[in-house]
Amino acid sequence: MAIKTWELDSNFKNEIAAMPGGEGIMKCFQCSTCTVGCPITELEPSYNPRKIIQMSLLGMKKEVLESEEIWLCAVCQTCSERCPQDVRISDLMGAIRRIAEKEAEEGKIELKGVRAIFEKAFMHQLEKFGRMYEIGLSMEYYKKAHGGFFAGMMAMQKDYQKLGMRFFKKGKMGPKSMFPDKIKRTGEVKKIFEKVGE
Amino acid sequence: MAVSKLAYYPGCPSETHAIEQDMSTKAVFEKLGIELVEVEDWNCCGAAEAENPEMVYALNARNLAIAERDNLDMMVTSCSVCFYNLARTNEAYEKDAGLKDRMKAIDPALEYNGSVKAKHVVDVIVNEVGLDEIKKRIEKKIPVKVAPYYGCYMGRPSRLGFDDPDNPETMDKIIELLGGEVIPYSQMKAKCCGGPLMMTRSDLAFKMSKNLIDAAKARGADCIVTACPLCHMMLDAKQPDIEETFKVKLEMPVLYFTQILGLGLGIDPKKLGLNKNIVSTKAIEEKVI
Repeated sequence: MAIKTWELDSNFKNEIAAMPGGEGIMKCFQCSTCTVGCPITELEPSYNPRKIIQMSLLGMKKEVLESEEIWLCAVCQTCSERCPQDVRISDLMGAIRRIAEKEAEEGKIELKGVRAIFEKAFMHQLEKFGRMYEIGLSMEYYKKAHGGFFAGMMAMQKDYQKLGMRFFKKGKMGPKSMFPDKIKRTGEVKKIFEKVGE
Repeated sequence: MAVSKLAYYPGCPSETHAIEQDMSTKAVFEKLGIELVEVEDWNCCGAAEAENPEMVYALNARNLAIAERDNLDMMVTSCSVCFYNLARTNEAYEKDAGLKDRMKAIDPALEYNGSVKAKHVVDVIVNEVGLDEIKKRIEKKIPVKVAPYYGCYMGRPSRLGFDDPDNPETMDKIIELLGGEVIPYSQMKAKCCGGPLMMTRSDLAFKMSKNLIDAAKARGADCIVTACPLCHMMLDAKQPDIEETFKVKLEMPVLYFTQILGLGLGIDPKKLGLNKNIVSTKAIEEKVI
């Protein structure tokens, strides 16, 4: 893929560096230690954190933000731990994902994959109840990831019916877990969401 | 023993799929005579899904502030992800002078002075209670071969973790005290299980977890021991799904650290929730002498 120099956004790296977690991007000297030790790269070689950083430094904003790869990091911190330049790549990927979500909300790019939907669904449960409500999370995620209530429920049943039965048999998913375990002072958590945003 | 009373942060899975971790943690501390005071009205730590660090700090400051107001100076959690979020919030309080005021401005409930140390259960057992004390209290031997699986956050990032980032060994020491044999597993001990990708890229997550179970099996392990509910979910609850996906039989029991320790301390298996693990732990229980 030839780089279209006239389409580069030289400010992209500054945008990343201004995000919490993205501060270290300029320190990267492309040694590839992150990529060599990455457990995701080992299974899916298209995931190359070094390359994502270099593309970002060059200003290939749209290519980076619309790539599937930025959503593959499992935040295991192996790269951050081994990086000789203390780039904190796990945190950096988080900063890039947040920029991607913002740009997608503004209609400027299209997100790949479903992790943004999952993260949003997770945070919605937290905002409403103060704690994780797994059934609420799954229902919202599957509905949105599969484009509608019916298709979502079919997919959820396929993926989770057996796991649900396993939990039920072991008494891990009794009638109580059907309902959210709401904290008492949900107002305090709602305030966090109002003032910090997602 | 240095500690007698601790704030306890159970984390969300403690009420559903990790109920046996919660049960065994409480049983172990009760047996050791350490009081656990559950953080009153605690909220979720944000797990791996809260991408905005400021959000993570706010969610965890609320929990730490509750413990601080109750005059507790140490908080213990049995979840590695919760530990990571609590620990990095404390780190941010140390390094970012303006954070305290920013948090307070969100809501008075978030008024926190940074005085509560956050610790993982394994850290408390090995480094606060201490190996000598544990040794004295062991009532039973568990002569089984164990693959100790640590996952990510006990040692990484090392500025927050309490164990070696690549070759952790705190759990090994307890397993050896219990009469267990730690199998050679150093290449897998701290390699990610794929948990955070469970819902969105289960194909990758399944492969990552299968590799961990395969390596344990190949080296003759009778069980895997882990201390994180997300790792446990992948290795235990999802093990039948992994078997079905790859058309293999694994049948590898996966015990929580507090479950195997509890067995050694002579606690009744039912009290440790061993009947709630998805893959049967009977073979391990039968070897306790």
